[in-house]
Amino acid sequence: MKRFVATSFLIAVTLAVLMPLLWVLLSSVKPSSEILGAPWGLPSMLKFENYTKAWGEAGIGRAFVNSLIITISTLLILLPIGSMAAYALAKYTFPGRNVIFGSFLGGLMFPHFLVVVPLFLLMRDLHLLDTRAGLTIVYVAYSLAFTVFVLTGFFQTLPDELREAAMLDGCGHAKVFWRVMLPLARPGLIVVGLFNAIGLWNEYGLALVLMNSEENRTLPLGIANLTMTQQYQSDWGALFAGLVIVMVPVLIVYWVFREKIHETMLAGAVKG
Amino acid sequence: MPKSPPTPLSRRDRRERTLFLVGFLAPACLVYVGFVLYPLASAIGLSAFRWRGVSAKRTFVGLQNYQRLLEDSAFLQSIRNNLWLLLVGGLATLVLALLVAHAMTGRGRVAALLRSIFLFPQVVSVVVVAVLWQFIFNPEGLLNATLRRLGLASLARTWLGDPSWALPAVGVAFVWYAVGFYVLLFSAGLQSIPQETHEAAELDGALGWRRFVTITWPLLWSVKRVAVVYLSITVMNVFALPFLMTRGGPDRASESILTYLYEQAFGFSRFGYATAVAAGNFLVVMAISLVLLFVFRRDPTEGHR
Repeated sequence: MKRFVATSFLIAVTLAVLMPLLWVLLSSVKPSSEILGAPWGLPSMLKFENYTKAWGEAGIGRAFVNSLIITISTLLILLPIGSMAAYALAKYTFPGRNVIFGSFLGGLMFPHFLVVVPLFLLMRDLHLLDTRAGLTIVYVAYSLAFTVFVLTGFFQTLPDELREAAMLDGCGHAKVFWRVMLPLARPGLIVVGLFNAIGLWNEYGLALVLMNSEENRTLPLGIANLTMTQQYQSDWGALFAGLVIVMVPVLIVYWVFREKIHETMLAGAVKG
Repeated sequence: MPKSPPTPLSRRDRRERTLFLVGFLAPACLVYVGFVLYPLASAIGLSAFRWRGVSAKRTFVGLQNYQRLLEDSAFLQSIRNNLWLLLVGGLATLVLALLVAHAMTGRGRVAALLRSIFLFPQVVSVVVVAVLWQFIFNPEGLLNATLRRLGLASLARTWLGDPSWALPAVGVAFVWYAVGFYVLLFSAGLQSIPQETHEAAELDGALGWRRFVTITWPLLWSVKRVAVVYLSITVMNVFALPFLMTRGGPDRASESILTYLYEQAFGFSRFGYATAVAAGNFLVVMAISLVLLFVFRRDPTEGHR
């Protein structure tokens, strides 16, 4: 009996989580008039044009490319510089080490909104507002704290003997890192990279403040903008297709690496 | 093998080591200082000015911006809204997550599958969550259509346009979005409770609810501490949900501190004042976190584990 109650409860919660997402999927192939007119009804016809419309006219295709470029270039800068710093912090003692590590750790705790105004003014003065390069460098900066924190922990688990042996073989400090330690850290790098990628792909607040032109919009901005422009046209089909386009890549990556991502989520939360 | 005492580094080796360390740390530190720490430091100064972002007209006002905060009814309203979300939405999230985690114990692979599913809302962009719930609460949306179909048409209303329902609607979206993470957190905590403890409890006849109260709940203590602090930070920083679902309306009924900050800064270019709003929020969050850490300070399992 108790088990029955628990099972029904779990089924109810699962439905409550999944139904809205399935509703988005269903609505994305409906004619616009049926999305609000008959929200529960099956589509009278499968309208895949919603997707072509979202991708083209509604600007989601361009936003998709922008998001892809910004996410990838952020990772290409973030992972090398983050792992270099993390390695130095994990494997060496030097004056100032605790100060540097502490200030990265502090960056995990303070909320980003605190700096949003001065950051906006700084980017304006540097003429980096509304540029993909500007948003990329900001994303690198605000992902560093978490990346350095997790990777430092990861490098600390790698045995010191390997480094010492390689140094005896005549490798310099940097060479040991690139040739020996970094390849060993690959699993950690992949998880941190994926975790950051999901967060960057979805990021809204900083992009909202720092980007505004249509040609530079990222996906979340593009979607948010669609809800406003489509209000006057009531063309909801394209909007729902856009929602699916944002969601699906992330859900696929998440599903493949879900166990690792859960671990990283917990590591990030227990930091405090 | 006994470790040989470290050989003193030659001068050349030392220089090499220093160069290496500087080279490895500099890129990350420069980006971090330039785009995170420098804006953070300038925020403190900025909040002491009345400034619209045009360098010529920058008036030093000292603590006046903070004084104004305390008399600003819209700011105080937004704090009240955030606290309401924290108390009602936060509590609902924790209770629901705890019940789900408890119901999932002992279900092995099914539990792992469900945990992953419950995290879907957290993994998709918060923009998707906001737009989705905006359509559920739309006057012609999923919720009202369901009510009408169930013959409860009298309950249907313009949820997001109704001053007494806009904030609760945002709260529902928040719970839906957040609950999966706390299920994950609590499940991890429950898994760390040794199997023997459960077995011993069973021998003593502690089952179901009683076992939950006497064993699970107290042993989850440290997890709860993490959860409440983390949750209060998240709730005090809600932005995208109210911003996209209601724009803080109607009539500031669902205004959050951050949507108000956004309006002040990027709607009215009151950069100094907006920074004071940010700092005010930060102080409120700090105060809440400290109170929570104090309330949850004692580990009741200490001593008799």
